[in-house]
Amino acid sequence: MTTQTLLIELGTEELPPKSLKELAQTFLAQIESQINDASLSYESAVWFASPRRLAVKIEQLQENQEDKVVEKRGPSVTVAFDENGAASKAAEGWARSNGITVDQADRIKTDKGEWLLHKATVKGESIQSLLPKMVQQAINKLPIPKPMRWGSTRTQFIRPAHTLTMLFGREVINGEVLEVQSDRLSQGHRFHSEGLVSIEHADDYEKTLSSAYVMVDYNERQQVIKQQIEKAAQELGGNALVDQPLLDEVTALVEWPVTLIGDFDQSFLAVPAEPLIYSMKDHQKYFPVMDDNGKLLNKFIFVSNIESKDPAQVISGNEKVIRPRLADAEFFFKTDKKQPLEARLSSLESVLFQKQLGTLKDKSERIAALSQFIASLINENTEQAYRAGLLSKADLMTEMVLEFPQVQGTMGKYYAIHDGEDASIAQALEDQYRPRFAGDNLPEANIGCAVAIADKIDTLVGIFGINQAPKGDKDPFALRRAAIGLIRIIIEKSLSIDVTALIEHSIALYGDKLTNDNVINDVNEFVLGRYRAFYQEQNISVDIIQAVLAKASTAPLDFDQRVKAVAHFKGLEEATTLAAANKRVGNILAKFDGQLLDDVNADLASEDAEKALISDVEAVEKETAPLIANKEYQAVLNALAKLKTPIDNFFDGVMVMADDEAVKVNRLTLLAKIRSQFLNVADISLLQ
Amino acid sequence: MSTFDIKTFQGLILQLQDYWSRQGCVIIQPLDLEVGAGTFHPMTFLRAIGPEPMSSAYVQPCRRPTDGRYGENPNRLQHYYQFQVMLKPSPKNIQELYLNSLKELGIDPLVHDIRFVEDNWESPTLGAWGLGWEIWLNGMEITQFTYFQQVGGLECAPVTGEITYGLERLAMYIQNVDSIYDLVWTDGPMGKVLYRDVFHQNEVEQSTYNFEHADVPALFAQFDHCEKESQKLIEHGLPLPAYEQVMKASHAFNLLDARHAISVTERQRYILRVRALSKACAEAYYEAREKLGFPLCANATNKGDK
Repeated sequence: MTTQTLLIELGTEELPPKSLKELAQTFLAQIESQINDASLSYESAVWFASPRRLAVKIEQLQENQEDKVVEKRGPSVTVAFDENGAASKAAEGWARSNGITVDQADRIKTDKGEWLLHKATVKGESIQSLLPKMVQQAINKLPIPKPMRWGSTRTQFIRPAHTLTMLFGREVINGEVLEVQSDRLSQGHRFHSEGLVSIEHADDYEKTLSSAYVMVDYNERQQVIKQQIEKAAQELGGNALVDQPLLDEVTALVEWPVTLIGDFDQSFLAVPAEPLIYSMKDHQKYFPVMDDNGKLLNKFIFVSNIESKDPAQVISGNEKVIRPRLADAEFFFKTDKKQPLEARLSSLESVLFQKQLGTLKDKSERIAALSQFIASLINENTEQAYRAGLLSKADLMTEMVLEFPQVQGTMGKYYAIHDGEDASIAQALEDQYRPRFAGDNLPEANIGCAVAIADKIDTLVGIFGINQAPKGDKDPFALRRAAIGLIRIIIEKSLSIDVTALIEHSIALYGDKLTNDNVINDVNEFVLGRYRAFYQEQNISVDIIQAVLAKASTAPLDFDQRVKAVAHFKGLEEATTLAAANKRVGNILAKFDGQLLDDVNADLASEDAEKALISDVEAVEKETAPLIANKEYQAVLNALAKLKTPIDNFFDGVMVMADDEAVKVNRLTLLAKIRSQFLNVADISLLQ
Repeated sequence: MSTFDIKTFQGLILQLQDYWSRQGCVIIQPLDLEVGAGTFHPMTFLRAIGPEPMSSAYVQPCRRPTDGRYGENPNRLQHYYQFQVMLKPSPKNIQELYLNSLKELGIDPLVHDIRFVEDNWESPTLGAWGLGWEIWLNGMEITQFTYFQQVGGLECAPVTGEITYGLERLAMYIQNVDSIYDLVWTDGPMGKVLYRDVFHQNEVEQSTYNFEHADVPALFAQFDHCEKESQKLIEHGLPLPAYEQVMKASHAFNLLDARHAISVTERQRYILRVRALSKACAEAYYEAREKLGFPLCANATNKGDK
């Protein structure tokens, strides 16, 4: 069996950096799955990616598919021959289509009869003939949100394609994709390498490209960049702020990383660090540097794509770009401070939150009132909560936030401190948007929680209130994120808050603006619908959430306590039997359309198992009553677990559907009582 | 490599014109109407429509009333220049052609860090979008590079490649100055003239006009008038004059914007009105060229494939 290394590289114009990695990984996955489908064996498969290429290398790939014997069944012998033993038309036609004569056909006998049979040998195909189609298919399946055309081509891709390198060992595999003919040629570095470079053997790929100043291995390149950044930061006596998305983007923007250091005027450090960091990271893709105390330094690290003949020019060029941006931030900070946040409230009247729901001024006032209400529920300072709510959107009117929207809230905090607002109010202004994404920090203090919850409830109620619930992936007001944030804050901060109460309060604040009469229910259901996503991150299985959802508690903390209790219960050895018993009881009760008794009548019990169960249920009921009142759900379920054996004995020894109607109804009443005991916590029958 | 004195603003323009002229572009002159970008010039907007090939290059003065800073900001102007190149169909080596133009401006790619950074373009008023990059020179954006995919709501086939140089920025880099106003416009036998000498007063006065004096009711009326006029001209099968009315309406809208006369919600409606006009012009232009039998397609066969 011949094996060789296979190399496929598609050379393009600069690919979108944020999708580069995914493109390359999908390209590999697609090629691999087709090679597997073709039953070709190989040792290993890797992907490569740089701004101007996607590539895949398969090592020790089998060159030819094995030959295969395919059995093709013909007409049955009774149909194939007439009484004289002469072949029928059907038999001859079948033989011809298989390229044989009827005499040459084999026979196959089963208990149902005998048929003509042809064992055809299908010659295995070679990678040379299979590959062009595979590559075309793989390219068709790449995730490209906006495909484009170029020149006069009719083919579409994410960016124009220029080279196609397909090598099996030393040999070029012939093919055409995206109107590009395959060859052994590949694009080197745009400036350090002239013309195309020739790759002699698929094994030489990385080496040849490296000599043309392209580090094709994305992960290796990222490691190199990381080390260079760390080294540069060390030189500066600080730590670089390296977050993964930015590192990925930078890795996807260079083929030959050369890390350099620039600096800016010390005086800019008088501006809060956040907008400076944003303008370095977001606009310029620079890595900011902090000292050991987390204070921003007047330095930045950036990654160029060239071993410049004069790096000083590259550095001074980059410094020149960042300077006016930082100067803008400084100017905004100075100008903004001249006007206190409070004075900006009236200007919020000119900005719409949503057409039917009024301006940001209206929203601020609602948030203030709602924050105050929430503060009263969680024993916080209501005046401060009101004030923080009222000022919450004022920073949106500052020059700084207009220029750097990502620092909303954070700038509110700085300006509030400058205005002499109470520190906890200032902190709440920053906290209101938290959590901004999955895994983000929660508000630091409870005033911030109040404002954050108020903002989210106001948006949820308002948008649902005018019937603009999110549809599919259209969620322009980010309601899903708001709802999950709401759940997280209430649960993780252990706040005793019922969402229904918040919704009702919020509706009142909207006055006559809402048109949806069903808004309480709609918002509650929407919030309940988010628990799955919330708990999946904590590895809590869906059936547990469904069991608790059946109770539809609208107090998130209570919901969480039930989930924890059921999760614990599910781990008990009694759980499986009791879940099944609950299900059985549920089914029996569903089929019964008569009237149950108000309570079980012990005098009607005749069987021992029945009597035992009645008294056990009574005992458990006494035990759980105070536990339920205290929401000690785990203890409730532990107590109920004790019913396993009596329930088992009951079902084993007692006929529920007794002939005597009174006895039957009494037994059903007993079962209903047990079921409702469990339902105090969750619908255990849904556990799997 | 440069033939002209690229250390002056006009030398830079001459060098670019000379370079693109040598590549075979029609060197056209600026449009004599107020526009916000070189893309509005009919040589780009209309010529990008339909199958006929065309390649041209031109300087286009651009007006963006809201960017006025009364001559006080060293980086922002309400009137500035773009150098626009459009190549249809976009040649295979369009990136190399562009990079060679930078070399002619004395920019050595082995010294400077030149990068193509993803930046996709969309013009809601023109019903147009495209994919491409901004080009970074040591981190500074100096050019916008776009493969048009749709113009006036029509699919582009073949595709036009558009290269838009920000002339002032590029000149500031080449001349190593920190303020637009310090740019040397020319330095010849009649002495040195700065950008400040040519345009500073204009920035002060036009900013004052844009922000303080532009007659709001008259501009609203003008917008409505241009819209009606454009629609009428479309009915008469006159896409070129109809399109001029679109540009006039668009400029009136920009001035109203500078006067803060259009609310956030109204804004979107005005944009859609201009877009409807652009689309109608694009369609009428296509039909008009089709009636003529797309004459430039016939010429293309003896041009050869670039």
